[in-house]
Amino acid sequence: MSLTTFIQHILTGVSLGGAYALIAIGYTLVYGILLLINFAHSDIFMMAGYFMIFAMATMPWPIAIPVVIVATVILGVLIEKAAYKPLRSAPRMSIMISSIGVSYLLQNLATYLFSALPKGYPTITPLKKVFQIGPVSASLVTFLTPVLTLILVFILMYLINHTKLGMAMRAVSKDYDTSKLMGIKINQIISLTFVIGSSMAAIGSILYFTDRMSVTPFSGTLPGLKCFVAAVLGGIGSVPGAVLGGFIIGISETFLTALGYSTYSDAFTFVLLILILIFRPTGLIGETVTDKV
Amino acid sequence: MKLNNKKPYPVLSIAALAVLVVLLVILELNKNNFGMAVSILQKSAILAIVAVSMNLLNGFTGLFSLGQAGFMAIGAYVTAIFSIPTETIDSVYYTGGLAPWLKDLRLALDILPVSLQIILGILAGGLVAAAFAALIGIPVLRLKSDYLAIATLGFSEIIRAIISSPQMDKITNGSYGLKNIPGFALGLDFLPAGIGTLLVPFTVAGICIGFMVLVIRSSYGRAFMAIREDGVAAEAMGINLLKHKEISFIISSFFTAVAGGLLAMFMRSIEARTFQITLTYDILLIVVIGGLGSITGSVLSAFLVTAAKEWWLRFFDTPLVIGGVTIPLFRTGFRMVIFSLLLMLVVLFFRRGLMGNREFAWADLLSWPQHLSKKASSGHKTGKGGKKNG
Amino acid sequence: MQFGGVVAVDNLSLQVQRGEIVALIGPNGAGKTTAFNVVTGVYAPTNGQVQFKGQTIAENFPRGKMESLYAGQNKGVYTAKVWPTPDLITKKGIARTFQNIRLFKNMTVFENVLIAKHMNMKAGFFSAAFHLNGREEEQMRQESLKLLEMVNLLDLKDEIADNLPYGKQRRLEIARALATSPDLLLLDEPAAGMNPQETHALTAFIRQIKKDFNLTILMIEHHMNLVMDISDRIYVIDFGELIATGTPEQVQNDPAVIAAYLGVDE
Repeated sequence: MSLTTFIQHILTGVSLGGAYALIAIGYTLVYGILLLINFAHSDIFMMAGYFMIFAMATMPWPIAIPVVIVATVILGVLIEKAAYKPLRSAPRMSIMISSIGVSYLLQNLATYLFSALPKGYPTITPLKKVFQIGPVSASLVTFLTPVLTLILVFILMYLINHTKLGMAMRAVSKDYDTSKLMGIKINQIISLTFVIGSSMAAIGSILYFTDRMSVTPFSGTLPGLKCFVAAVLGGIGSVPGAVLGGFIIGISETFLTALGYSTYSDAFTFVLLILILIFRPTGLIGETVTDKV
Repeated sequence: MKLNNKKPYPVLSIAALAVLVVLLVILELNKNNFGMAVSILQKSAILAIVAVSMNLLNGFTGLFSLGQAGFMAIGAYVTAIFSIPTETIDSVYYTGGLAPWLKDLRLALDILPVSLQIILGILAGGLVAAAFAALIGIPVLRLKSDYLAIATLGFSEIIRAIISSPQMDKITNGSYGLKNIPGFALGLDFLPAGIGTLLVPFTVAGICIGFMVLVIRSSYGRAFMAIREDGVAAEAMGINLLKHKEISFIISSFFTAVAGGLLAMFMRSIEARTFQITLTYDILLIVVIGGLGSITGSVLSAFLVTAAKEWWLRFFDTPLVIGGVTIPLFRTGFRMVIFSLLLMLVVLFFRRGLMGNREFAWADLLSWPQHLSKKASSGHKTGKGGKKNG
Repeated sequence: MQFGGVVAVDNLSLQVQRGEIVALIGPNGAGKTTAFNVVTGVYAPTNGQVQFKGQTIAENFPRGKMESLYAGQNKGVYTAKVWPTPDLITKKGIARTFQNIRLFKNMTVFENVLIAKHMNMKAGFFSAAFHLNGREEEQMRQESLKLLEMVNLLDLKDEIADNLPYGKQRRLEIARALATSPDLLLLDEPAAGMNPQETHALTAFIRQIKKDFNLTILMIEHHMNLVMDISDRIYVIDFGELIATGTPEQVQNDPAVIAAYLGVDE
């Protein structure tokens, strides 16, 4: 593989990784606070794709993008209030089953509303413009994604580590019950978590689908699973971990496909998952917790 | 599930079984008029097996595994490979042909009657799945429940990827899928032609579910439940966690694969896409609706849910016209939306499902009239302390 | 026993002779339950050894990351790796109860005890699955019923364990441990949450089961009446280290114990 091709692939991989990182953040935040694997997150991501299709049909892209983000956030918060909040005191399995149920519902809803046939994703012209840097060329979106990801993550980390709200979020994820007793408004914090996660997913979906051309009701499933693996790989509950995991998976997937093993690239992600769960379940940069008997 | 201290009524059970067999035979002989009912009953019986085996793992042992689709795929493919008639095999594997060693094996097995070959195929499918489960279990079963769910989900996808990969073309026909799988009626050539259609899936389901019931009611079943209740305490009481979790996992996977084999015979042609994660979700939802920890619930739910999905809710998919006015929502796909909403209702408000963790007992049914009349005459019952059900 | 950077138990040496009742006391957080957990196999010792009936049933020494981190004593003394899972230790004849009751909540009283008989079942899986072990199953049930009778819980045998009042739940947990036919019984705060009358009844109960089941008992307890009344010997630990040992009279008058902890006479 020539150096140019190699760099080209790195670029694509990093770009894909950035999109994955943003989606993985949603998984890791929700798991950190509610100990819930939000199976519906992948379908929120998918719905954001459809929202964009319909938004772009009626408004110019500078307006469509914020509209899509807001719509996705509303969807995410709605799901939390309707399907997860009532089960907060239920055994953990129930809430996981609920998220599977929501995922199921969203997929069927999308099939009903938009049909199972792929719908073309609109082109956001400036993002598609191809740039040439040295021997390497790619569209703007490819260059933009990792940069945007890092900016957003920095903002998020600042929020989490240097604001009162962020401290509240960290407190809730460390000790849910005591946080409630300390007067932290749990509902607000949880809603905030979903707001952040859903908006990240919306942005990630714009970056992801722009390169992909079309959306189906099942477009979210596989990326969603991969992003959850990314979150686990990095250390579930840790935002930097999710980002690290996202990039690792994005880059390896790109290279595997480039080398001709595309069928195996999906399986590879899961092999990574199994390995991490066996050898380092807390993830690459996660923290160990011992259970008291 | 409490130990059944209620009085058993073997006569009633046998009578009910006899009624069921008679009904099945009647349907069987009239299947041209009852095509949809027959098809639904077949699928329900198959899904009932998977539902019970998932319940064994999930509801009784407390292991939240989402790998069912993968094991069904193994069972389906192994069964298909061993049951596609040898004459037509080359047309099925039209791109590269069946692997020579497999072809020789099939030809060697051809001395056996077709029905026996199919039975062997199904058993082989189960054993292959059991072997996978044993292997996978060692690293995976000690994970916490959420991680176990994702890990098994991952294996399910890995199996699917392997099955459809070009490297496996000579064995699984890669992404082209397998067809010409014999159905139930053809499968049994020592019975009058065609009679196997309902009797085969039901008999197999009866055997599989029957065995699992026996396991649950044995000391091992109690050990499984102990692990679900409190793994640390179970271990302290001398129950080796890994060994027992493995047993539960292997049994569950074996029967899931057997059901997969039956599914292959039901569908007549299969491909990797048949066994996506959505299939596992379907079963999970059946189990939840029936009640985690209730075998009767899983069986009932399998039939109810399949009937609802394929039949009763069809109403929603066809355009509805009342008095010349077309109601806007009714078109293709609405059925599944309604179904998903119903599911969410159960998950949110009827978490214990149909049967909770209770099983069906004749004693309960027979005491119902007494129950009702007591309630009517005495008004409000004063309970003693109130039994909590978990 | 070291967790991360904290040495929870350091240089603790306990001996329990057959037929004794030995108590392990000390302030909260002293490391008592941790010691229990090492004996029963829940934790592998960071650096130490457990011997039972002349056999080493657990042993370990600091390796890997812990080698540089280890802050306890007796480094270099232990050289073997023996890490059984807790069920193996129970099979050797050591049973335990838990500080926070760990009954099988949604199962009946009878089932809780019956499950503890599973480990001694001779029938293999398929034999049991096909219900070919009818006689053995019946025997296990009879033994469980007898056990329930001996602890006075027979009339509640079909009650859901979670519904039982607290005192009876504790008794059930002890009965369940007894069903594993142990030689050594570890009781982790059996009198926790009990008032003086209940504690008094528990004292008599422990004496009775020791006699009926030919037991040796090691007990963690805070209720000094119970401890002083029933123990043959006592070990006192604080901050993971042994500060005194001896008969109840000796310990009561030990200045180190009085200084560190003499509990509240309940």
